[in-house]
Amino acid sequence: MTVPTPVRRTLLLGLAAATIGLAAPAAAQAPYPSRPITLVVPFAAGGSTDVVGRLVAQKMSDVLGQQVVVENVVGAGGNVGAARIAKAEPDGYSILMGTVATHALNPLMLKRKPYDPVADFAPVSLLAVIPNVLIVNPKLPANTVKELIALVKADPAKYNYASSGLGTPLHLSGELFKSMAGVKMQHIPYRGSGPALNDVVAGQVPIQFDNLPSASEFIKAGTLRALAVTTKERASSFPDVPTMAEAGLPGYETYTWNALFAPPNTPRPIIDALNAAALKALADPVVIERMKAFSATVVSSTPEALADHVKAEVAKWAPVVKDAGVQTE
Amino acid sequence: MTDLLANLGLGFSVALTFQNLGLCFLGCLVGTLIGVLPGVGPIATIAMLLPITFGLDPVGALIMLAGIYYGAQYGGSTTAILVNIPGEATSVITTLDGHQMARQGRAGIALGIAAMGSFFAGTVATLLIAALGAPLTGLAMIFGPAEYFALMVMGLVFAVVLARGSVLKAVAMILVGILLASVGTDLETGQERMTFGLNFLADGVDFSVLAMGLFGVAEILRNLDQTETREVVRQQIGRLLPGRAELKQAAPSVLRGTAIGSILGILPGNGAVLGPFASYAIEKRLAKDPSRFGHGAIEGVAGPESANNAGSQTSFIPLLTLGIPPNAVMALMVGAMTIHGIIPGPGVMTKNPNLFWGMIASMWIGNLMLLIINLPLVGLWVRLLKVPYRLMFPAILMFCSIGIYSINSLPTDVMFIAFFGVVGYALIKLGFEPAPLLLGFVLGRLMEEYLRRSLTLSRGDPMVFFERPVTAVLLLISVAMLALALTPKLRKSRDEVFTEA
Repeated sequence: MTVPTPVRRTLLLGLAAATIGLAAPAAAQAPYPSRPITLVVPFAAGGSTDVVGRLVAQKMSDVLGQQVVVENVVGAGGNVGAARIAKAEPDGYSILMGTVATHALNPLMLKRKPYDPVADFAPVSLLAVIPNVLIVNPKLPANTVKELIALVKADPAKYNYASSGLGTPLHLSGELFKSMAGVKMQHIPYRGSGPALNDVVAGQVPIQFDNLPSASEFIKAGTLRALAVTTKERASSFPDVPTMAEAGLPGYETYTWNALFAPPNTPRPIIDALNAAALKALADPVVIERMKAFSATVVSSTPEALADHVKAEVAKWAPVVKDAGVQTE
Repeated sequence: MTDLLANLGLGFSVALTFQNLGLCFLGCLVGTLIGVLPGVGPIATIAMLLPITFGLDPVGALIMLAGIYYGAQYGGSTTAILVNIPGEATSVITTLDGHQMARQGRAGIALGIAAMGSFFAGTVATLLIAALGAPLTGLAMIFGPAEYFALMVMGLVFAVVLARGSVLKAVAMILVGILLASVGTDLETGQERMTFGLNFLADGVDFSVLAMGLFGVAEILRNLDQTETREVVRQQIGRLLPGRAELKQAAPSVLRGTAIGSILGILPGNGAVLGPFASYAIEKRLAKDPSRFGHGAIEGVAGPESANNAGSQTSFIPLLTLGIPPNAVMALMVGAMTIHGIIPGPGVMTKNPNLFWGMIASMWIGNLMLLIINLPLVGLWVRLLKVPYRLMFPAILMFCSIGIYSINSLPTDVMFIAFFGVVGYALIKLGFEPAPLLLGFVLGRLMEEYLRRSLTLSRGDPMVFFERPVTAVLLLISVAMLALALTPKLRKSRDEVFTEA
């Protein structure tokens, strides 16, 4: 392959290599990667996980010299796509965009587990952290978290809060808030945060927990009031909004995270190649800027650090999931 | 007013650049093509094309993607009329009279009036977005869960009223549709309902799977056992331009359809789906001789087609002004904007006036292009039917399978369209209409969601549906229409008229 060949022949060879690769992955001797890589995004195209996935996939393609193709495998709150990678060939040609939902919350909620978030995956790298935010309708007479807690405590039967769905990170952020603040609120689940935002802006439901990216324009326009972000530090896009800890709930921390996972038993050299490509993609100024524009923070890690992160998240959410009573068959 | 003109001027200056004109044309052309091809919908296409738009500037990219969306609405009606397959929920109704017209050799006129009605509706909707975009979003704000529930109830009553065949069968089909909609994980409790422990049923039955199976595959099966009827359609293409009398007949329907579609499109609860149904029901009620409906009435094509195009464009209002996607395609547009670093929301209009007004201007240009692309191409689309059916049906099946797989990447979806195809064929053979089933399915899911949400918010008090004026009025209209449809005298004449011989 050192002799320059006409383009057509290269294409044919590539095609042949790909076919052989499909038939017998072990026989492929070409250095990894020698054919396109499929990145499974277990959520619908257009959502925040999809946006992060496509941004990173595009840059990783440049680094690896092979296309990283995003495939949206949608279903069961991300479980269908994650289960597919848990059972995929460990050859580095199918990888997953995992999230706090697929790797902590869903496995905790389901009694019949489709996969094990620790044993059934080979971690590659963390990619991004997305803050959540506590927002209220501006007509609600509460300008701070403390005022909100007082308001809700005064009339416990009255208040509702909206989230993007049962068992989502946002619902559980609300449940964590309830238990830490010692208040009662009725949860109103929606199909996605769009319709929930609509009802909160319109005042049908006064309070909501949402991803900062999807709520940010409403906060800027003043149609919603942000009381606190849920991360340890303030969000760089909203320096005036205090953290939950500053606002009176010390120790409260939730966020949505995205990370790359490969199938279990993927060879170490392949994991290292993917990790290096992800790190280079995350260092790209365009990627950093695009992520910042929708309030996500770029976070890279070693495979080991991601493994620890998953374990820590499972441990953190287990009691919340149990108290919220959202475990299902 | 001067503001409006200045804004539109800015919009046209953006939309009329060489690059954006080209992208708009490309989008419309691709949209028409995928609309015509049964089984490949705008959702799959936009999702596949998203990465390609990375290299474009955001305005151009969104102009192209929007072109694909409304181009598909144009193309979808072509397939509905010629092959009796609705590509999108909004063209289900067009199959009723549009395909009958085609069978009578008036395919050209049906396509012509659909294109002209759509162009008119598109023009009005563009002006509407420009003039009323911001203030109209207030309308969405007065619609809470209770109001949406009442709206869905009204939609289902419409479905009974407009169904062909016996009322009993129509109600049965609607109920089956609602039952199918309740499959999947319960929104409020997270418990699985009627999934039999199967993972791929956890999210319920996909709308496009159901529609493609019931209409696409079932229609193919039906065509395979009665080939002669297709011969009739194939031999006669007919005139393309409607005559004076036909235009006069269709014009009021176009006006009403545009108004209904525009209003329903603004509602963020996917109200646009209701537009064509509502328009058809109204046209049928207003007609001097309702018996023509279902047998090739031009009003039955003109009204719903105008309504679906108006609705598809006004559904950009909640997206561009509130950042709330009213349907799956708009959700993808949100993704496209986010990828390009624009966060959809109330800030778009002030922060990115180029994008906002450029897109609006491009919509009108796109509609004009579609009229120009479609009228001459009508002949080509009609000629598509001259392809022998033994060659065409495998191609349609293949496109359906690829199209459905590309949405969720689930092999079970492909098996499901085969299953629903057989079900649909059995229903046709037994004299059941699949359209009410599909409507029951779409509205049933939303209706349950809004009903339970209203009751949770009111802590179980049903008075919430009667205290609010909008809700009460919508429910009263539904009861009145149902009573009218069930009045013995009316029912008798209705049964005579609609029972197919």
